[in-house]
Parts: sequence; structure tokens; C-alpha cells
Amino acid sequence: MNEIEIKKSTLYIIGIIALVLISGFFFLKSGDGFVIGNLIGGSFNGEVQKVVIGMKNYNYYPNTIQLKVGIPVSISLDKSVSGCFRDFTIREFGVREYLRTPQDTIEFTPTKKGTYTFACSMGMGTGTLIIE
Amino acid sequence: MVFKEFMQSLTKEGVEGEIIKTIFVSLITSFIVLGVFYFFRLKYIDNFIPKYGFYLFFAILSYALVLPSVRQVRAYREFSCMSGMMVGMTIGMIAGFLSGFYVGATNGMFWGSVFGMTVGIFFGAWNGKCCGIMGVMEGIMAGFMGGLMGAMTAIMMFNDNLKAAGVIVFIISTFIMIGLKFMIYKETRGVERKHRDGEFFVIFWSFVLTIITIWLSVFGPRSVLLQ
Repeated sequence: MNEIEIKKSTLYIIGIIALVLISGFFFLKSGDGFVIGNLIGGSFNGEVQKVVIGMKNYNYYPNTIQLKVGIPVSISLDKSVSGCFRDFTIREFGVREYLRTPQDTIEFTPTKKGTYTFACSMGMGTGTLIIE
Repeated sequence: MVFKEFMQSLTKEGVEGEIIKTIFVSLITSFIVLGVFYFFRLKYIDNFIPKYGFYLFFAILSYALVLPSVRQVRAYREFSCMSGMMVGMTIGMIAGFLSGFYVGATNGMFWGSVFGMTVGIFFGAWNGKCCGIMGVMEGIMAGFMGGLMGAMTAIMMFNDNLKAAGVIVFIISTFIMIGLKFMIYKETRGVERKHRDGEFFVIFWSFVLTIITIWLSVFGPRSVLLQ
């Protein structure tokens, strides 16, 4: 009698493992739910490098921005950006501002070459600034 | 030593002997539901598996983790205040956190919180009543907190290894639920079983929770940030 009970529970355990492995193989196929690594350059009008950032799949879009060193930059967030993502920060350049509307801009001049991170104030949305 | 006895009791007759069977029945019910839905409807949705597969898979595992404890608590019915509060708190918190986390990852903070709080408060209060009003209160508070925290954690990690966090959260919850099952076993040694739930109980709850999770994640309303 005992033997049969042990076999039953062993069978259930094997069944659980098989179910998890088979369904896991099927449902855990990789794929990104959000976009990363898209690149934009600031549009330069002779005085200021202008950048407009939007939002896609819960991150800044584009989230890789190429800029030139020593030339003033103006960054604005379009109307797709919402919540804490409108509180825009670039720690290395001491920039932090809440851009309430799409017309509001952050202006600063990148003084050093390198790769820096920009983010919302809570660090939930991030991106990269490449200063060349 | 007692833990060794608990592990042995999992392979015997009795309340604890039904835990592994409950996990199996819950998993098979949920995966059949998901499989049927996938075959008839979900496979036509763009990027269904990369977008939702991971979260639905772990949501189903979460329900298979919580339901055996619910069945175990219902089998004994009555607990002391201390144990009942721990039962209400653990089930409310884990049920709320996990469902909030996985739905929050696909639908955003608001809908993840609403779903997590609903599941957490319902299961927390239902199981906490094994010791009276204190357990019910504890279950409600834990479900409320767990649901909000689960969804919030998912949203805050959206761009920061969310899937890895989902696995870690699930592993930790598994250990907590094993601890709860062991605690119930320890507290009820020598106590007669007072209630018997059939397999239909597990099938019903797995079915309901899986259907709601699939509908909410795939077709349900979502936060403006995830549209």
C-alpha cells in the first residue's frame, strides 16, 4: 500500500517538472518588450543642438543621443512623455528639470567628451548621451 | 527533525499529502486553459510570447504556489491567533505581490495594483478568518500592501532586468510558502482534519485566476505608458 502512495506522489512530482519544463520551453522564448539602443543626433541650427525626445514602450525614445562638445544643447520632451519621465536629469552635467509641457526645454552646454547617462528622476527611464 | 517529518508527510495520505497533487492539478488546469486560448486566439496576437509569455507563465506558477496553502488552511479551519495572523498575512502578501507584479509588468501600475490588491485582499481575508477578525484584518492589510508593492516593483524595474527580478521574486515567494506550509503542519500536529476540498476546488480557482490574468494582461485596460 505504502509503495503505491509513494509512486503516486513521485508521479505527481515528475508531472509537475514535466509541465514546467514543457510550458517553460514554449512560453519563455526571449524577446524584448521595449526598444533600446536607437540613435539620434541633435539637429544643429548654427547656434543650438536641438533634441526632442519621446516615449515608447516605457522608455525614452530615442534613447541614444549623439551631440557635439562645446555647443549648447536644448532638450525638450514631446507630449508622449508622461509621469516621472518628465522630470529629466543628466547627473554628470548637473541638469535636473521638470519639463511640464512639450514647449519647456532644458539648456546646457556639454563641456567634456564621453558617454553619459540621462534618466528620469526615479531612474525608471534611461538613455545615453554620446558627446563627441 | 520536524521538517524531515513534514517532507515525509508530503508523500503520505492526509492534508499535507495533497499539497503536491494540488500543485499538479493547478498547473495542468492553468496550462490547459492557456493552451486552449493560445490555440484559438492568442497565437494571432503579434509578439504574444515575447510580450506576455514570461509573465503569464510565472503568474500560473504563482497560483500553483498559493492554492495548496489555501487548501491546507481550509482543511484545519481553526488556528490560534498568532498562527492565523501569520497565515492571513503570508497568503495575502504573496498572492497580492505576485499577481500584482506579473500583471503590473504588462498593464502598468494602476491595473497591476488593482488586480494584485483584489487577489491579495480576497485570499488574505478568506484564509485569515481561520483565527477570527485579527487574521482577517491582517490578510486585508497584507493583500493591500502586497498588491501595491508588486505592481510598483514591476513598473520601477521596467528598464532594469525586470524578467530576472520576476524569477528572483518567485523563488523567494516559493521559500516563504514552503515555510508557511511547514508552519501549518507544525501547528496542527495531532489535530483532526475538519474539512475536505475536492479537486474541483483547485480546478475552479486555477481556472478563474488564469482566465482573469490572461484577459487582463492581453486584452485588458492598461496604463497610458504601456499603450
